[in-house]
Amino acid sequence: MDFIQDGFIQAFALLLNRDAATYSAISATLRASGLAMTASLLLGIPLGYLLGYFDFRLKKQIRIIVDTLLALPTVFIGLVIYALLTRNGPLGEAGLLFTIPGIAIGQMILSLPIIIALTATAVEAVDRNLCITLMSLGANRKQVAVTTLWEVRLGIVAAAVTATGRVLTEVGISLMVGGNIKWHTRTITTAIALETSKGEFGMGIALGLVLLLIALTVNISLAGLRRRI
Amino acid sequence: MYQIHGIEHYYGGKQVLSIGQASIMPASITGLIGPNGSGKSTLLKILGFLEEPTSGAILFKGRKVVPLSDEVRFRVTLLTQEPYLMRRSVFDNVAYGLKIRNDTGDMTRRVRGALAQVGLDMENFAGRKWSALSGGEAQRVALAARLVLRPEVLLLDEPTASVDFFSARLIQKASLKAREEWGATLVVATHDWQWLYETCDTVLHLMHGRLFQGGLGCALEGPWLIGQKGLLQRQLEDGQVVVAREPGEGKHLAVLDPSRLEVTLPGQNFLMKRNIKTLKGIITRLFLERSGSRVQTAIKVGELLITLHMEREKVEALKLYPGKEVDILYDPLEIKWF
Repeated sequence: MDFIQDGFIQAFALLLNRDAATYSAISATLRASGLAMTASLLLGIPLGYLLGYFDFRLKKQIRIIVDTLLALPTVFIGLVIYALLTRNGPLGEAGLLFTIPGIAIGQMILSLPIIIALTATAVEAVDRNLCITLMSLGANRKQVAVTTLWEVRLGIVAAAVTATGRVLTEVGISLMVGGNIKWHTRTITTAIALETSKGEFGMGIALGLVLLLIALTVNISLAGLRRRI
Repeated sequence: MYQIHGIEHYYGGKQVLSIGQASIMPASITGLIGPNGSGKSTLLKILGFLEEPTSGAILFKGRKVVPLSDEVRFRVTLLTQEPYLMRRSVFDNVAYGLKIRNDTGDMTRRVRGALAQVGLDMENFAGRKWSALSGGEAQRVALAARLVLRPEVLLLDEPTASVDFFSARLIQKASLKAREEWGATLVVATHDWQWLYETCDTVLHLMHGRLFQGGLGCALEGPWLIGQKGLLQRQLEDGQVVVAREPGEGKHLAVLDPSRLEVTLPGQNFLMKRNIKTLKGIITRLFLERSGSRVQTAIKVGELLITLHMEREKVEALKLYPGKEVDILYDPLEIKWF
């Protein structure tokens, strides 16, 4: 059981000694998840609004599909993205395999259903009087949409928190699409997988704790944002 | 301001509104009264161009307009019965309409004025969150958010239904000021009879989605049983029986027209014609109307509440007062079917 205690000590040592490999993995993790979250929020919030606000044919079916995608296994996404981005694949020319943007694409597919589903739920739960109120105050359709989204901002922040947690901690996509290349596409989770396979449990736990610290920082920031808005 | 031509509106295949012809004059105050589910809110949404009637036409200033078009968006505003305050400060709620119009000049002064109009002072309320307001304050903030826009038409859906007396009076005063100050046309749905008959130029009565001008009829739904001489009978809760002729095809709602009813004291209906029937009731409310010559008289008959407009002299002659028993005379042939 000593490796757990060692892990804690090593975690702080890695951070305090500014270990280059650890900081490279932190950087790769943050860049990939940052790109993925930006893209999924930009796409997912409007799509979630459309799904939650409007009634249209096939709405229920689309909702079921989105909810099913919440359970997408990361290795499956990794496999599909790998097949698409590999040199012989349909998007092979883009040269995104074993790159941070490649990982970000996979992570975006992972987080997008979470943003869409939770935004749609938040919009569906909004008081129907809001729409009438806004229209009767003179708002056009675009202003109704923007104000409605602002009204459900706490729900959207919750969606962002959930999706960020999932993206930060996934390993399947980063491993398959990123290739776990040191100094390049090695993220914290792929580094943990590697260290554990080498029998370096202490190092694995240390990296896991680093990841938890990052998640804690992100969540504290978002909690601060929630209080301010 | 409005001309209604044969509008009908349906929700899920069920007709909720059917109005033949009606008009609302500019700078007038029109009262809408009717029981819950009579179509008042639906009519207000249609007048606010938030919903389009299923069929028929509604003209605004003589022109047909498209709901939510720029032509009406900034001219007509509706205050719903349970208005939604956005999750922001009172100031931001009141200023919202101005901001989306890009009409932010002198905004603080205008918001201050609108808040003052509904009896709220800027210093104490502007910074408050939506969640820190009482029901009456929230309703007044919602009204201020409409008044600050100086709308041409102000539609109010039971604005005083769930507020205290003090808030209700402030809401009434602020609404009236909209007409006095900038000639706003007001349409008010309310159960507040006193407000209606004190301030409204016209009172429209809605029942089962149909409009009755000039008096609130008393609707009688079934079950109707076949009685003597081919007439139908409807027994009230207190055992009295209302008699009516048979309805035409597709008609099922009987309405006692208050203008055709006669009120007498018990036992004084000796000049009664043979086909005239009597119902016994108790006066529940007497209220002097704005004209000063008529008294609104509410009489409870079984489970029914019949409201009539009686000449003041007649009320004095009969020495009517709340609690007094009276007879209501009616002709079964004059009961209307819808």
